[in-house]
Amino acid sequence: MLSRVVLSAAATAASSLKNAAFIGPGVIQATRIFHTGQPSLAPVPPLPEYGGKVRFGLIPEEFFQLLYPKTGVTGPYVLGTGLILYFLSKEIYVITSETVSGAALAVLVIYAVKKYGAFIGQFADKLSEEKIARLEEFKQSCIKYAEDGIDFEKEKQAVVQKRHYLFDVQRNNIAMAFEVAYRERLHTVYREVKNRLDYHISVQNMMRRKEQEHMINWLEKKVVQSISAQQEKETIAKCIEDLKLLAKKAQAQPVM
Amino acid sequence: MNEELSTFFYVPVGTMMLAIAFPAILLPTPNRLITNRWITIQQWLIQLIMKQLLSIHNTKGLSWSLMLITLTLFIGLTNLLGLLPYSFAPTTQLTVNLSMAIPLWTGTVVPGFRYKTKISLAHLLPQGTPMFLIPMIIIIETISLLIRPVTLAVRLTANITAGHSLIHLTGTATLTLSSIHSMTITVTFVTVILLTILELAVALIQAYVFALLISLYLHENA
Repeated sequence: MLSRVVLSAAATAASSLKNAAFIGPGVIQATRIFHTGQPSLAPVPPLPEYGGKVRFGLIPEEFFQLLYPKTGVTGPYVLGTGLILYFLSKEIYVITSETVSGAALAVLVIYAVKKYGAFIGQFADKLSEEKIARLEEFKQSCIKYAEDGIDFEKEKQAVVQKRHYLFDVQRNNIAMAFEVAYRERLHTVYREVKNRLDYHISVQNMMRRKEQEHMINWLEKKVVQSISAQQEKETIAKCIEDLKLLAKKAQAQPVM
Repeated sequence: MNEELSTFFYVPVGTMMLAIAFPAILLPTPNRLITNRWITIQQWLIQLIMKQLLSIHNTKGLSWSLMLITLTLFIGLTNLLGLLPYSFAPTTQLTVNLSMAIPLWTGTVVPGFRYKTKISLAHLLPQGTPMFLIPMIIIIETISLLIRPVTLAVRLTANITAGHSLIHLTGTATLTLSSIHSMTITVTFVTVILLTILELAVALIQAYVFALLISLYLHENA
């Protein structure tokens, strides 16, 4: 950063170096040394599963192993007892009120560790396991989301392959619609033409019938006109005579 | 006995700096997500305490959260470490507690008076006081406001010092009695154990109370 200040100062000082102000920052960026090696903390080495073995909760096992070749199994114990007695007898360690308070604290701490130590350890392990379970669940849900996306994409690709079926069906539908429309129009045309022709036929029939009726009426009228009054009387008298004869015949035969 | 009492006023400066800095060793910084048991339990405890402490604050007040956590941890750990034999608790010295209490109290009250003068002054008069009591109440509340840093410091000092004194005295009594009549030392030893339990509780509670009061002053004023 200081070199940038120096460069800008030099650029303002000398007018021939005005172009250097543009090159300056680029040069600094190019010569900056970035991290080229591995990051120092990753990958983090795994935690050991059990702590180092200790005796009396304080003295590591390695101390006993160290003294074993020279003094055997009882060596460290004898050393410890001797040291304590030496300090006490020579008053290098003076017994004061601090000793009493230290003893009380030691009693408390040993009692608490023996009674609740395992419980606290399990509690801590449970907390860690819950955390791991949450992270694992999140990871699984991310993976599942990605897999679901992949399946969905594959499904859509398969559907796209079968698109031509849809197009064929649509094409067929449209062809059928065209056909239906064409047939309907054909039928309409046929009906209209038949209508016109029927009209002409019925007009002809009606004309003929009218002519027939007119002729019949005219004939009847002429015939009725041609019957004279004398002929009418004679015909009626003859009919009455015939009816009388028939009546006599009917009376003569019994009614069945 | 006199020389043991005077140990509370003789301040070894070199070891005092060590005693103040030592608790930091007991609070490791995790470099991984799933940590060992020690750090896991510490994180759980801090979460438990801080949820209580910080739930009342708004976003602006939560910028104090690191300060409050540091305060609780420092006071709690130094008190607990002071219970070990031949150790020194810096919170027994009034200087240490005053130098914690006065800046923190000032930091909660002075910005409150500067930016929200009306609300800060309104806290001096509780709701629903009768009219004739108002002048008295204002004076009393002002005095109580101004005396708060002193009370914070003196409360902590007195509690921890008294506990330490009791344990030392009872321990000395046990030693003296052991040459007179050995059977009574069981009584005094049990007393020392009970006092130690009490002191352990007091150590943690005082830390919590200190931070809680500061967060309350913060909530009132800002």
